[in-house]
Amino acid sequence: MAGLTRERRTAYLLGLPAALITAALFLVPLALLFAVSFTGADGFSLSAYARLFGSEHYLWVIGNSLQLALITTLVTLVIAYPASFAIARAKGVWRSLLLGSLLLPLAASVIVKAFAWTILLRSTGIVNNTLIALGLIHEPIRMIFTETALVIGAVNVFLPFMILPIFAVVAQMDERLTEAAATLGAGPVAAFWRVTVPVTLPGVIAGIALVFSLTVSAYVVPTLLIGERYPTLPSTIAKAYLLTNEGSFGAAAGVVLLTIALAVVIVSSRLGKAPGAAR
Amino acid sequence: MADAAHLGVKGVSKRYGAATVLESIDLDMARGELVTLLGPSGCGKTTLLRVIAGLVRADTGTLSLAGRDVTRMPPYRRNVGVVFQSYALFPHLDVAGNVAFGLNLKRLPKAEIEAKVRRVLALVHLEALAERPIRALSGGQQQRVALARALAVEPSVVLFDEALSALDRKLREAMQVELRQLLTSIGATAVFVTHDQEEALTMSDRIAVMHRGRIDQLADPRTLYDRPATSFALSFVGQSFRLSGRVVASEPGLSVIDTAAGQLRAPKQFLTGSDVIVATRPEHAHLGHATLGPGDNSLAGTVSNVTFQGPRSLVEVRIGDAFLTVQMPGRSAAPPIGSEVTVGWPIAETLIFPAEGEP
Ligand SMILES: Nc1ncnc2c1ncn2[C@@H]1O[C@H](COP(=O)(O)OP(=O)(O)OP(=O)(O)O)[C@@H](O)[C@H]1O
Ligand SMILES: [Mg+2]
Repeated sequence: MAGLTRERRTAYLLGLPAALITAALFLVPLALLFAVSFTGADGFSLSAYARLFGSEHYLWVIGNSLQLALITTLVTLVIAYPASFAIARAKGVWRSLLLGSLLLPLAASVIVKAFAWTILLRSTGIVNNTLIALGLIHEPIRMIFTETALVIGAVNVFLPFMILPIFAVVAQMDERLTEAAATLGAGPVAAFWRVTVPVTLPGVIAGIALVFSLTVSAYVVPTLLIGERYPTLPSTIAKAYLLTNEGSFGAAAGVVLLTIALAVVIVSSRLGKAPGAAR
Repeated sequence: MADAAHLGVKGVSKRYGAATVLESIDLDMARGELVTLLGPSGCGKTTLLRVIAGLVRADTGTLSLAGRDVTRMPPYRRNVGVVFQSYALFPHLDVAGNVAFGLNLKRLPKAEIEAKVRRVLALVHLEALAERPIRALSGGQQQRVALARALAVEPSVVLFDEALSALDRKLREAMQVELRQLLTSIGATAVFVTHDQEEALTMSDRIAVMHRGRIDQLADPRTLYDRPATSFALSFVGQSFRLSGRVVASEPGLSVIDTAAGQLRAPKQFLTGSDVIVATRPEHAHLGHATLGPGDNSLAGTVSNVTFQGPRSLVEVRIGDAFLTVQMPGRSAAPPIGSEVTVGWPIAETLIFPAEGEP
């Protein structure tokens, strides 16, 4: 036991420089953000928070952010889970191709991707033109600046962050585990729910935490693909700082956003460590 | 006879692309029997095991288990226990959770499951570790958990794919004896896969020597050692001294063979002119003219090495381009290195095989 505490102490010492840098680059600005959010015209004030939580409009905005994050997380999860298995089971060139097609878009800026979707989805865009050419529709349907466009864009941008952590776990999973389950009497469904899912759960949780916190704080995608019709916390923050110059209000919105993201990360890392979770 | 077999494998073949991995395998096992599949890497042992477990579908042939035709039955209905080489323990469950896995699927009452888990864990001496996570177990303990998990559902047959090979030598040897006692005491029917001949000899009632997708010989260890059916079985189990030659004369129960090292006789008739392998086990050989009798083969050779081992000396004799190591009692004086000696062994202990199909 004594050896353990000494090991611990060494670990803490080794982590000190990194901790200092983190403190300087993240904690100080965060502290400032907090301080500003609680500042009114004359010193300490809860007015920014009162405005945020007191108005139906801003509750709706917070709801929008949560809704977007939730839907995007669910859709990416539904796509990413089977996709991770497909990539992990793919052989040779196929595997490289699939992984490449997943990683390469990460190199493109989110702005480029969002603009690409606006081009594809606009009334004279390739999607509408194709549908018309196929005779499926007679006049362009409105796609850009709709919730559908928003979710499509967000899923496109954030999908890799769901696939990669799940793929990492799936690729490591011993194929013999499901065979062992089968020899113990587990049919395909039972083997999936009792072995595959729990064993890959840490990857799923990591993916959920990543995609949810990324989406809830996404600015570019909602702004370009749906705009004013669907204000979110990030767009509210931007407006407060860039248009209306209400620093305290923007800071309060920032604190709320941060709290949501942090809560998701903390809860998920708890779940990942819960007894019964694989590691 | 075949109908009475507890596990019946009949005419099972399996190909992967152009490669034939299993070629009309027949294997009948009685209830409670321990059989080892022994053979070199790539001969199809794992594939045969996986066919029996239902994890691989055979191209041809039938399988029966405990009186049921299981040829087309999926693995989860077969009631076959498998102990994998990698153990394949469920990392998200603790020791008891792993052992209870199959019982939970049967939806037995909770109390019954707990009692069974406790009983099986006691069997493998792991009662104290029931709540341990899998990652906190040693290799030997993991091996026991894998065994307990397979036994808990009372399978009709337990299959072991090199289940002991990940353990260090001492532990492995201890486990061989213990595992055999355990399986015998609960009356389990088991198939082991190994390429370790000593493990095969220790563990099994019968050994199936596999070679290129076929079973060369299926026999009890004693017979396999004394009367190998093929030159492959001879070379794979135990030490042997082998020479190739040609039959120059034969009569019922006897062949005379010319080899590069001299003329030999073997107690089995082969067609005159056929190419053969003549062999014996080194322990049948003795040194010196004085010991030769009328029923002996003899060859001249040169002593190439002598190793003194206390109770005995090992004298290595070069005969042509083959080497034969002869044991001598420690007290008798070993001939000096380089001296010419005569080696003899009984004709009755001479083995003869056709040369075709040599590896
Ligand atoms: N899924 C597969 N696809 C193609 N070839 C396979 C497959 N599984 C096995 N083989 C081939 O079948 C042959 C027998 O394999 P198997 O695993 O049964 O050998 P083994 O006797 O268990 O060998 P080892 O002692 O190395 O485990 C090998 O040549 C192997 O390459
Ligand atoms: Mg194998």
